Amino acid sequence: MSRMAWPNLSSRTRASTPDAFDALMREHVPALYRSAYRWTGAVDRAEDLVQDVLVRLYPLRDELCRLDQIRPWAMRVMYRIFIDQLRRERSSPLAFGIDFGDADGAGENDSGFVDPAGGPPELAEQQLTQQRIAAAWNLLAEEHRVVLSMHDIEGYSLVELAAMFETPLGTLKSRLHRARARLRGLLAGERFVAADRVQD
Amino acid sequence: MSNDSDALIKGLRAMPTPEPRPGFVDRALANAANAGSHVPAARNTAERAGRRNVALRWEIWLGALVGGAVAAALTVVLMRPTHLQPAERAITLALNEVRDIDVLIDSDRDLTDATIRVAVTGGVALDGMANEHIVDWRTDLGRGPNLLSLPVIARKAGAGQLVAVVEHGGKTRTVMINLTVSGSAAKRS
Repeated sequence: MSRMAWPNLSSRTRASTPDAFDALMREHVPALYRSAYRWTGAVDRAEDLVQDVLVRLYPLRDELCRLDQIRPWAMRVMYRIFIDQLRRERSSPLAFGIDFGDADGAGENDSGFVDPAGGPPELAEQQLTQQRIAAAWNLLAEEHRVVLSMHDIEGYSLVELAAMFETPLGTLKSRLHRARARLRGLLAGERFVAADRVQD
Repeated sequence: MSNDSDALIKGLRAMPTPEPRPGFVDRALANAANAGSHVPAARNTAERAGRRNVALRWEIWLGALVGGAVAAALTVVLMRPTHLQPAERAITLALNEVRDIDVLIDSDRDLTDATIRVAVTGGVALDGMANEHIVDWRTDLGRGPNLLSLPVIARKAGAGQLVAVVEHGGKTRTVMINLTVSGSAAKRS
């Protein structure tokens, strides 16, 4: 009887050693880290998230070497870990102030916020300094950071993200729209930020 | 795209993002390898605690035109190595118990590039993959029995299921195991 290791370490194993895993993943770790940092907004959390991803992927190294593109697959794993972490934090009584049970749902309340629908018409002319964007970024809901990071910064298409995150395309479209609107609102009306965080 | 959207995206892309701290990449890769190397030990522990084996016979594939009723019976009748109790397709786990469930895939020929998909539902998770309820991968199956060990962990009391699907050449075989997690925690030795 031949015994297959879980999930698949067949006799044709090609990446069963730590060195092989290192060779497969090393080039992707910085990119994973940058995305993790954008999603979490903190160095320590980004490192923890990437570490979790690598631990999760290590047993799947044979699968990794069969993939044409490792990074989107790794991103998908990272996203699922991240969302799971968020859910745990939000369900914890100690997680007061962590916002948005559902960033796309009715719980996202923009009332009392600068109307983001049209955005201030002069926004294009404003100088969007890195500091202002970074400050606004840190006030976004995590799901909004993810979609903006992956679509507007990393350049993944919504179709690619829908497959990567296993999320309906329409949901991602509306999430992206809301994320941009939220960011514009934050950039235009920082004075409302505190109230926004408390309400959510 | 409007000017303000362009400006926003340019601003986002210019937003500074730090590189990993020195040594992080090396450390993270080494930690992953170390963590991964502990998996077999955990499996051995589960093995000592006793396995439950479920087998999926494959050769009926070649019979062609296997009807749904026959396929269902296949999963019921041909599921076990000889040393198991005949009726054992429902497995009870203690809360937090980790156990390997063996799926025996018996093929009458080599199956190159078969797809194996495993899904778990209810209070049971794939050990080491707590966030993955469905996992699939491709592999080659040799002629004869192929044993696949699936480590599961009982996370909360209640009923659940483990479903293993093997696909090859447009045909599939499915095996389902009912899993019940009892309310009492597993005893630690």
